[in-house]
Amino acid sequence: MLGALAVSAGVRFALLLGLGLLIGYSLERFGFGFAGPWRRMILKREPDGLIAQLVAIGLASVLIQPLIASSDGLLGAIAPVSLTMIMGAAVFGFAMQIVLGCGSGTLVNAGTGNLVAMMTLPLFCVGSFVGSLLVPAAIASTPHLPVSLPEIFGVPGALAVTGAGLIGVGVLAAWRGQGTLWNRRLLTAAVILAALAGLHVLVAGQPWGVVYGLGLWAAKGAVWLGWNPELSAFWSHPINAAALSQSILTDTTSLTSLGLVGGAALAAWRVSTSQALVPGLAPWIFVIVAVAGFMLGVSSRLAFGCNVGGLFSGIASGSLHGWAWLVAGFIGSVYGVQAREWLWKQASVVHA
Amino acid sequence: MTRRLGIVITLSCLLGLIVVEWVGGNPPDPFQAPDPMAWGSVEGASGAICTFAPGAE
Repeated sequence: MLGALAVSAGVRFALLLGLGLLIGYSLERFGFGFAGPWRRMILKREPDGLIAQLVAIGLASVLIQPLIASSDGLLGAIAPVSLTMIMGAAVFGFAMQIVLGCGSGTLVNAGTGNLVAMMTLPLFCVGSFVGSLLVPAAIASTPHLPVSLPEIFGVPGALAVTGAGLIGVGVLAAWRGQGTLWNRRLLTAAVILAALAGLHVLVAGQPWGVVYGLGLWAAKGAVWLGWNPELSAFWSHPINAAALSQSILTDTTSLTSLGLVGGAALAAWRVSTSQALVPGLAPWIFVIVAVAGFMLGVSSRLAFGCNVGGLFSGIASGSLHGWAWLVAGFIGSVYGVQAREWLWKQASVVHA
Repeated sequence: MTRRLGIVITLSCLLGLIVVEWVGGNPPDPFQAPDPMAWGSVEGASGAICTFAPGAE
């Protein structure tokens, strides 16, 4: 499969699909995620998953920031901070707890045959497309200030600020949490994920992301239905117009997202026959799930990335918006966890 | 029904997406392939990234 892609599209694209496969396999195999650990921190005060995330981001920043500074052709995940960006991150944090799947988590869960994620993903794509149409209006209506720490402090200074921030969050999580801080399985996954994120920058020239590709898939569907991308300030931009006119097999985020699903499927294939496809929940919950999937898509576009492109790659690249994403996303998750508890309880009662 | 069916459905849908786009007249062109790695290449990042914010530069 990778060889065929290398021949038909190019070696870089085969490498990106391969990286996606490895990321998806690793996330599923090691049980590493973003929404789940935040839920455990909020509900049970268990900080080990959150701390593993911080370790992964910190290691990735040490790899990514010097790499990006070393070559003119490389691009960091730097995005503006704004009111709509912060609101988007908060809504994403809320919605990802409803479906218990973030950007990467929804792809991985769909790859494992999780019906909730399978219902979420299509609407996530549509929402991402709709969100992309709203981005220019959001930028025009409120101040959007891109802040790149490496540009302000230089790479060593930005790494020091990033490291100090991550340690600060880790200390806060340890202080508020109960139980073990260091989970060997999750820390192993964190090291692997950081290494793969560094390789992603080497190959793609830009950090790992998810949402762009999902919106691109829906945009291609909209074009097929007769939509004119020239009417959109977002999609008529040369970079996006090029992505729209070319194969998804040459789009960076599409390839890694396809790989994530495939890698998770490989990891889950053997045990998949021992798990039921349809959960014991009332059917109406899938309407809620679909709405939450749409919210995930719209909000992640306005937030300039999901937990991957905005939070993980944003902080690792030295973008201030990644830190704003972390705070707003976590606040949204606090409410999202409560909403999920109530909704799932109702769905279980009705079903019973 | 087990999750194995869910995996098959998900992978089939994504494969269908690729096939439909390919036969719909948008196959990749190997003769326009960039260098294998962006690092050290004049063909760097595509810029098609989640943090893309037109007009906020």
